[in-house]
Amino acid sequence: MSAQWAMGQVKVPALEPWGPAVYSQMAVSISQQRVEIHKLRQGENLILGFSIGGGIDQDPSQNPFSEDKTDKGIYVTRVSEGGPAEIAGLQIGDKIMQVNGWDMTMVTHDQARKRLTKRSEEVVRLLVTRQSLQKAVQQSMLS
Amino acid sequence: MFSRNHRSRVTVARGSALEMEFKRGRFRLSLFSDPPEDTELQRKLDHEIRMREGACKLLAACSQREQALEATKSLLVCNSRILSYMGELQRRKEAQVLGKTGRRPSDSGPPAERSPCRGRVCISDLRIPLMWKDTEYFKNKGDLHRWAVFLLLQLGEHIQDTEMILVDRTLTDISFQSNVLFTEAGPDFELRLELYGACVEEEGALTGAPKRLATKLSSSLGRSSGRRVRASLDSAGGSGSSSILLPTPAVGGPRYHLLAHTTLTLAAVQDGFRTHDLTLASHEENPAWLPLYGSVCCRLAAQPLCMTQPTASGTLRVQQAGEMQNWARVHGVLKGTNLFCYRRPEDADTGEEPLLTIAINKETRVRAGELDQAPGQPFTLSISNQYGDDEVTHTLQTESREALQSWMEALWQLFFDMSQWKQCCDEIMKIETPAPRKPPQALTKQGSLYHEMAIEPLDDIAAVTDILTQREGTRLETPPPWLAMFTDQPALPNPCSAASVAPAPAWTQPLPWGRPRTFSLDAVPPDHSARACSVVPLPPQRSPQTRGLYSKGQPRTWLQSPV
Repeated sequence: MSAQWAMGQVKVPALEPWGPAVYSQMAVSISQQRVEIHKLRQGENLILGFSIGGGIDQDPSQNPFSEDKTDKGIYVTRVSEGGPAEIAGLQIGDKIMQVNGWDMTMVTHDQARKRLTKRSEEVVRLLVTRQSLQKAVQQSMLS
Repeated sequence: MFSRNHRSRVTVARGSALEMEFKRGRFRLSLFSDPPEDTELQRKLDHEIRMREGACKLLAACSQREQALEATKSLLVCNSRILSYMGELQRRKEAQVLGKTGRRPSDSGPPAERSPCRGRVCISDLRIPLMWKDTEYFKNKGDLHRWAVFLLLQLGEHIQDTEMILVDRTLTDISFQSNVLFTEAGPDFELRLELYGACVEEEGALTGAPKRLATKLSSSLGRSSGRRVRASLDSAGGSGSSSILLPTPAVGGPRYHLLAHTTLTLAAVQDGFRTHDLTLASHEENPAWLPLYGSVCCRLAAQPLCMTQPTASGTLRVQQAGEMQNWARVHGVLKGTNLFCYRRPEDADTGEEPLLTIAINKETRVRAGELDQAPGQPFTLSISNQYGDDEVTHTLQTESREALQSWMEALWQLFFDMSQWKQCCDEIMKIETPAPRKPPQALTKQGSLYHEMAIEPLDDIAAVTDILTQREGTRLETPPPWLAMFTDQPALPNPCSAASVAPAPAWTQPLPWGRPRTFSLDAVPPDHSARACSVVPLPPQRSPQTRGLYSKGQPRTWLQSPV
């Protein structure tokens, strides 16, 4: 797992003691995760226990999880409680880059779904990117 | 067996009393003078008859299938309400007649049996899961078959309906937004719930008939269509016991079929969501058949009146703890499971805190008469509650024998109500008054989302390169799989904008769309009103001449699928 600080650091003017200014420092880090999901058998279906959104045939401005609203990648929109995906560590908002080696950044919604639900595969290995927001807020004293 | 009455277009059993009334054109059974609740019922009946005439006219004037579906639904609901009110009027008259003739003046008669208080029953958040075959759900090619469905709910003689919803195979559940409230329900209520469906696409051979011919046919039945109508009437009568809804003999109009039904009683009432089984009533040959999973989730709440209204009030004297001769004068109000003692009668209305609150529940014991704690005071009553190992007793004094009697009567009635309404008396269940339903607007066609979207752009290499050149921060070089395990390669450059980390303005929380039906059937249903079918302004970088990419315009949806 590698973490990387992206270019999203923002600094506002420095703290002045006893001044009324409030400054905050916000940073966004992006990490890549490898998630291995063992599918669960439900009757004659193999399910993973999450939902996906996105695709090159979808409208990316309606994606609530993407930083860049033209990003047409595949995102995890819901993770079922106690399902195989949650157990494997997949989180809501993750962007799926690859599934078992197949690229997922340039696929239609239906193609993405099909690559995840192949009946011949019981295990899928996903490469996902995850944003985590770290915020350090300091407030100066007001006199 | 059944005759179709031409004037009212309602199916009635031949030779029944109702049929005779129809023939005479009289809906009023005025053998005896009507008591006030009957005039109320009569007024409702007249109202429904007028509504039905309006609905018939509207149906005749409809040109679009969806308008016809709404009008047919209103017509059917009016018909069934009329029949149910008439049946109720009949029952009341019969009871009146029997009551009058059965009693002799010399009889003292048995004392009136105690009857439980009425209550309000509200059913809301109705959701019916569907179970499409995999091939249907994911194929999404070809014609989209659509159905119009609605729920009919009956409690006693009151019938209410939900809004009509269009269902196609992209939906995983049918969710109704309306909540339905019934007042005047007893604890022995039976709430019958029926799901009706009709095809949105025309069925039958009269689809292409010119308008003049169709209107001519609708007023008279030819031999073959008559046979068909009779066959469908028989089949509708045969399928399942007494459905509330009557078949409409309108030829060429949409026909609703009963798809499933169930009956809910007090045992199903809970302050939360529960799943109940549905009895499926139609089979695959029926044109309106929908693949129902077989259950319905809903929240059924009941508020008995004894919990929300004060049942008794008056002046009392409360004995101060331990002091035999010291009595405080209070204004007592018995409401729900508590006896509130206020300093002044006005305090009960102004929301002041009561001086004393005495709990009254199933375990409480009440004694009356001359008691040891208050010798010489004949009109006292004591209320005892057990709190763990301690027993706490409050002694109250009333003003007169009649006052004592009425307090005891109120307490007995409360105990009886609690035994009848059971779990509803533990705590007040919240019921929201349903907002008045908006009249059905022009129904927007919910076509298949896939029809409006791009078709297989990867078949067109040129289209793909177009996409790639237009994308910001194009990522053609994805690292091979597992590489990051061996090297310290940084993650892919993500063109996230530097300053903003605010979430997109239109969303407050992600909406779960497709729910895997095997998980948590009892969860809160999703709010489909904000589903992604809105037209969104196009982002600026998409150029209009991408060839072969968008066959029917830009994508307006952001689909979510469970995997």
